Amino acid sequence: MAKVFIYPATSLILSDMVTRFGHKPLGSAIAIRERVQTPGLESPPLQITPEEPKKGLAWAAVEVPAGVRGRMSLYGPMVEECDAAIIINNADLAFGCMGCARTNELVKFLLRQKEMPRLELEYPKNEAEGVQFVAAIKKFLTEIGGKK
Amino acid sequence: MTAPVRIAQLSCGADYSGVQEEINTAARSVNGEIFFPDIALKDIVRDFDKFGLEVRSPDLKLAIARAMALVEGRVDADAVFIATCFRCAEAAIVRNELRRYILEHSKLPVVSYSFTERTTSGTLLTRMEALTTIARRRALLAREVQEGITLGIDSGSSTTKAILMKDNRILGKGWMPTGEVLKSAHGVVDTALAEAGMKLSDVQAIGTTGYGRFLVGKEFKADLVQEELTVNSKGAVYLADRQHGPATVIDIGGMDNKAITVMDGIPGTFTMGGICAGASGRFLEMTAKRLGVDITELGPLAMKGMGNRVPMNSYCIVFGTQSLVNALAAGSTREDVAAAACHSVAEQVFEQQLQEVDIKEPVLMVGGTSLIEGLVHAMGELLKIKVVVPPHSQYIGAVGSALLASGFIKKDGTDAGH
Amino acid sequence: MTEYKPAYPGTVTRYVVVESYTVTPADVAIRAYEVAKGVMIKENCFGLIVMGKEEDVDRVIAEVRKMDPTHIFVKDRGFPPGDARRCRATLGGARPGFHGIEFEMGILPYISNGLEKTENLDLSAVPAPAPAAPERRLDVYTLKKMIDAQEP
Repeated sequence: MAKVFIYPATSLILSDMVTRFGHKPLGSAIAIRERVQTPGLESPPLQITPEEPKKGLAWAAVEVPAGVRGRMSLYGPMVEECDAAIIINNADLAFGCMGCARTNELVKFLLRQKEMPRLELEYPKNEAEGVQFVAAIKKFLTEIGGKK
Repeated sequence: MTAPVRIAQLSCGADYSGVQEEINTAARSVNGEIFFPDIALKDIVRDFDKFGLEVRSPDLKLAIARAMALVEGRVDADAVFIATCFRCAEAAIVRNELRRYILEHSKLPVVSYSFTERTTSGTLLTRMEALTTIARRRALLAREVQEGITLGIDSGSSTTKAILMKDNRILGKGWMPTGEVLKSAHGVVDTALAEAGMKLSDVQAIGTTGYGRFLVGKEFKADLVQEELTVNSKGAVYLADRQHGPATVIDIGGMDNKAITVMDGIPGTFTMGGICAGASGRFLEMTAKRLGVDITELGPLAMKGMGNRVPMNSYCIVFGTQSLVNALAAGSTREDVAAAACHSVAEQVFEQQLQEVDIKEPVLMVGGTSLIEGLVHAMGELLKIKVVVPPHSQYIGAVGSALLASGFIKKDGTDAGH
Repeated sequence: MTEYKPAYPGTVTRYVVVESYTVTPADVAIRAYEVAKGVMIKENCFGLIVMGKEEDVDRVIAEVRKMDPTHIFVKDRGFPPGDARRCRATLGGARPGFHGIEFEMGILPYISNGLEKTENLDLSAVPAPAPAAPERRLDVYTLKKMIDAQEP
């Protein structure tokens, strides 16, 4: 079972397919769950405290906006932890955790920098593309050791 | 308790910077309630296209669509708070354009702010208070004439001021540097009462404003404790006799600066603080000290000099002082240095704050720094208009407080006096 | 800042999204309750939210998935069900992430179809998805070919 970073990190489709074919998806929910379930200082809604943007300095310099660094504190560790990644490139309508274009650019870049299996594709726009989309993901996940 | 003011939040990054709770706390402390306008995906796609600003960040697209839902009345709100990350260019454009769009197309009061992870509810409080005041207390702000005997106290970061008014006339004034907040307040009140020949028990209503407003308000059992944005706007248009139509109020203070657009005496957009000390009254105080003159002499001195002969344009007080020392060492005249300091402060405010408000004439400069004529002159040059300094402009907050406080005089004459 | 004590430490929460012609979210909920055994189940407009120990949640999900495997989708969630910090009722509007799900819901039929079609298919026979169309202008040689191919 491989840890697969999903992009968009909030994707229902990717989260489902990675699990369906025997791997563990790494996405926003995992990082948020970790914060929501850790005692500390109260910082609703996401339990991201002002300390998190400081942790984000590991991936983005101090002149980078706090929101980017705060988001990077969610994604940075998972980018480091993952064994593979699936990226949907035209995810223009993923909000919230994926709401900042600058963070998204940086996350994608870091994923591409890492030497690991990576699949990049687009959301399907019709049935034929849907079949190709599913087949490509299934094939990718099988090749990295998932179930058939 | 009255129903909370419903403040719609349009933002990107607040949750992820860890400051959302600070925003909520600031809103709650002035009986406001933050909410997020509810729209559907199809609204986001349609309205983002319709608005025409092609940003990439999805949360900014969401903010644009939510703004349109507010303006078009699909979602009800009393006020709008726009907040995005400091240093994000994309968000800064959206923030400015949304603020302009909402102000032009609706009657909703708007405050915009760019935060860092260090932003606290305390920083946001004055802005939130102004926002809820404009939303909730339009009737209070509609007052144009001072009635009865009222006292206004402005407890500022540098100076404390008091004004005693009776039947629309100023009878007593008090002014002193802020030391111990309450001691300074009592000092200026005593001076103002003495000048007017009155006792505190003669006063029918009291208003306080400025940084120390809560503490001083409690001490004097004030009827109105109000932030300086709305109070200063009111005071400025009252003293300048421009209570109707548009105006712009600029107040370069000791600790932060305010630029406020006003319509019929009610603030529209405003910016507050945000710049370093090189663009504050403090820098001018330091300059005066360095030049060996009293702050009151700095203005006339500057009027005799040519600012452009000395390079000085830092928003940092340390670097600004360095330029000042260098210029003097290089043989620049005191007049030129004084003029350059005034120009530098005016330029910082012009570049960093005035760009965020739509300047409408008359431009009224108020607060202690408005007495430094070199500064007023420099601001006028930058804006290419004649800047108006109303009489008693250094007492603006105290006058505004005294004026608004008269709305609290009981008509049946049962005021116990203070 | 006040101290924060998490409400359900050690649990996982997952969304079950139902995009089916044959089963409704209500059907799925009934089945989930039948096999719940202590797992918290909450119905919502697009399916269920299931919370509990990871193995229990996965057991319930495996059961309900059987009802229509290619039309029931599952996603992790950071918050427990009904958490006020994410709830529409307290926020005034949907949390931003909801619109992302709203968007992907529109694509799910293609995914369901894809899952069905590829079930017993030699994957290498399926052409790889086309990369995003390059924003390049038509080169002059191709244009010439196209012109030549036209009937006079």
